[in-house]
Amino acid sequence: MLDFFTIFSKGGIVLWCFQGTGVTESFTGPVNALIRSVILQERSGNNSYSHDALSLKYKLDNEFELVFVVGFQKILTLTYVDKFIDDVQLHFRDRYKNELEQKGALALLNSHFAFEDDFKMLLREAEESSKARGPTSMRSFNASLKSQKTVKSMIETKGGDKGKEQGGKKNKNAKKEGKGEKAKAPTSAQKTEENGNQGLTQEEIIQKKREEFIRKRMGAPVEKPSKSPKPVKEKPKGKEKRVWTLGGSSTKELDYSQSNGNGAHAAGDQGLDRGRGGGRRCCREGGMFGMLKGLVGSKSLSQEDMEPVLDKMRDHLIAKNVAAEIASQLCDSVAKKLEGKVMGTFTTVASTVKGALQDSLVQILQPKRRVDILRDVLEARSQRRPFVITFCGVNGVGKSTNLAKISFWLIENGFTVLIAACDTFRAGAVEQLRTHQRRLNSLHPPQDHGGRPIVQLYEKGYGKDAAGIAMEAIAYARNQAFDVVLVDTAGRMQDNTPLMTALAKLIAVNMPDLVLFVGEALVGNEAVDQLVKFNQALADHSMSDKPRLIDGIVLTKFDTIDDKVGAAISMTYITGQPIVFVGTGQTYNDLRSLNARAVVGALMKA
Amino acid sequence: MATEPGINMEAKIDARENPFEPYLDALKKVLEDQDPIFMIGIVVSLAVVVITVVFLKYLLSRKTVQSAVLLVGLCDSGKTLLFSRLLSGKFKKTQTSITDSSAPYKAKNERGSSWILIDLPGHDSLRPQYVEKFKSAARAMVFVVDSAIFQKEVRDVAEFLYFLLTDSVVSRNVPSLIVACNKQDITMAKSAKLIRQQLEKEMNTLRVTRSAALSAQDGSAGASVHLGKKGKDFEFSQLPMKVEFLECSARGSKGEDGEADIASLEKSLALL
Repeated sequence: MLDFFTIFSKGGIVLWCFQGTGVTESFTGPVNALIRSVILQERSGNNSYSHDALSLKYKLDNEFELVFVVGFQKILTLTYVDKFIDDVQLHFRDRYKNELEQKGALALLNSHFAFEDDFKMLLREAEESSKARGPTSMRSFNASLKSQKTVKSMIETKGGDKGKEQGGKKNKNAKKEGKGEKAKAPTSAQKTEENGNQGLTQEEIIQKKREEFIRKRMGAPVEKPSKSPKPVKEKPKGKEKRVWTLGGSSTKELDYSQSNGNGAHAAGDQGLDRGRGGGRRCCREGGMFGMLKGLVGSKSLSQEDMEPVLDKMRDHLIAKNVAAEIASQLCDSVAKKLEGKVMGTFTTVASTVKGALQDSLVQILQPKRRVDILRDVLEARSQRRPFVITFCGVNGVGKSTNLAKISFWLIENGFTVLIAACDTFRAGAVEQLRTHQRRLNSLHPPQDHGGRPIVQLYEKGYGKDAAGIAMEAIAYARNQAFDVVLVDTAGRMQDNTPLMTALAKLIAVNMPDLVLFVGEALVGNEAVDQLVKFNQALADHSMSDKPRLIDGIVLTKFDTIDDKVGAAISMTYITGQPIVFVGTGQTYNDLRSLNARAVVGALMKA
Repeated sequence: MATEPGINMEAKIDARENPFEPYLDALKKVLEDQDPIFMIGIVVSLAVVVITVVFLKYLLSRKTVQSAVLLVGLCDSGKTLLFSRLLSGKFKKTQTSITDSSAPYKAKNERGSSWILIDLPGHDSLRPQYVEKFKSAARAMVFVVDSAIFQKEVRDVAEFLYFLLTDSVVSRNVPSLIVACNKQDITMAKSAKLIRQQLEKEMNTLRVTRSAALSAQDGSAGASVHLGKKGKDFEFSQLPMKVEFLECSARGSKGEDGEADIASLEKSLALL
């Protein structure tokens, strides 16, 4: 049933692999895709991933630096896979402990892992265990709970009409239950608590419920008798609570009643943590050396050890303006990466976790592709076509200002720029761009560039279709041999469907070389919503099967935040695209590139 | 008159020595009181401590002296397979590396020198961190290039090479550079000479665009090392380090079970 199963080291060497019968394609492609999109993008929180028709599940072994991946067809739902991977991992570790414990890759290269027989045995066991459970058959009416309730207990006491309504229903049920009635009487003796209400009268049921209610409320004012507590039978549900897909999660997370106790625990400094942890172990192992053993020597990290540190880190990240769900996903991913890892001597849990978190943050901020706009513009110039950059974003983030800054940078490096005024909605948008054009031309007068103005504006006034203007602008640029076309679009909210459709149409029709999303650094959790909805709109309204999505991010208003730089992390994590420009002010010179290390340093600073 | 300053000086010197004299005398007395063997013991232990400190310092500084050869390159260029072939000669299936792998390597020369071979991951988001970690320990770098899809990737290859060559630590230590044009078993593979020419052209352009790149947001500019000679087209011979281009095939032309064609690579490594 499985398509393949591989075991490889984190350094890339495949130690053992298994390919299911009848499977001809190599599994290297899907596994590489898994590594690149999940593990390297710090999404290891959930351990399954789907690629084309395959569904992949994986498990990291951090002590010996191994990865276990299993792949099977997406349409099959195999229930034994999770437990199977765990079993295989334990088995493999136990069997090849000696080879795996040696440092250096030589042991892995030279040893041959003959794991087939064990694997087949484990697979057979897993398949049999899943078959043995079999499909759950439906319970017969006699075995269900409903048959054990009396008709009386299901009748409500509130007013006579209710009783009549229920009575109607009850008559139907009574006929069905006629058979069950006989079974009820003997079994009534062994009832559980909720069905124990049968024997009592209605008043006694109400009294009992009231007592429970009071107990729960712990001293809340006693409910008036008119407010009768709910009967045993559930009323049909009225309004269901609306669940927003991207909104906050359940209120369970806001319940700090337990974590306060732990928080005080973990709020102490690390030494105290260690000492306490060592003390706990000391009591168990006995003797003074137990405490020392916790401090020195190798100890493998477990989920409980990391829990307090990760909570603190999560709060720290959220305080630094990282979106809440991204902070928790990041912390889960770091926990997965560190689980089972053996720490060196004299390293505390907190320092290991902090180091791992820092590494993953730097990794997220590193661009996953080459980012060199000037080189790409040169390439487009050699192909005799203009390089088209489109700016999109919500209202007021700084699209037009940063467009002007980028065109300044480009003309400083000797490229000719055409600005396409596709913001046909906002009052004064075209005039604003015209002012920028005049200023830039006065800074670099046409005399220096062979009599031709280095920046030109292509505009068609207000109220026209933006996609059409963009297409004409690009054609004009091609005719006049401009190097770069900068397309300014109107700001729009991500929930505004017609405007999002219009933007998607502009991008799908004109196929720009670079689609830049302009986002401000002040944004918090909104960033996630904006980017997801923008990407979704671009994907939905494009006709091709390879839609153009957001290619890069411009992070503006960076000078207004001191070290609350979390928006950078949220945006790159959600899209996986690099931050191409950073806007640090409102003059032409305030354009920078992102330095990942500096940002992460500012983020992790206490 | 001339003697007067001299007398004054002497008096001054005497005055300066005088405060120390009683202390020196006391010290001399204490030392003489001690058992000579005890004194010798103290002197010997002090000497041992001093020698150990000097030795440790020497050893520690030797660690940072280059003793490693790094295998770098873009993702999917064949570094991990090359690593496996060089160390054990076997063919192993590989996946994208997430961490580095290192192992001692015995060079095939008469001296039998051995150093550490380190295989760094090539994925774009991991590359800078690992290069940062290992660059100071590098005595040579083997830059692995996928010759079959070189045409499509030429800009990425050149950018990474530029990043390596303009790094301040690398330009200071000047490790030798071997560009291994891998995957020669594929028919469309480009030759080493062609790759060299293309890279030179591309690096020429990169010199201009990279120096015009924006500075980082905290003010730190990029590397200010200028490659090659100003005013002339870039050539690899202008670099201060030894650069060598060679062809190899980690998979080998006879399929997975055959030998790999890495003879030229092994020869170059032996010359290090």
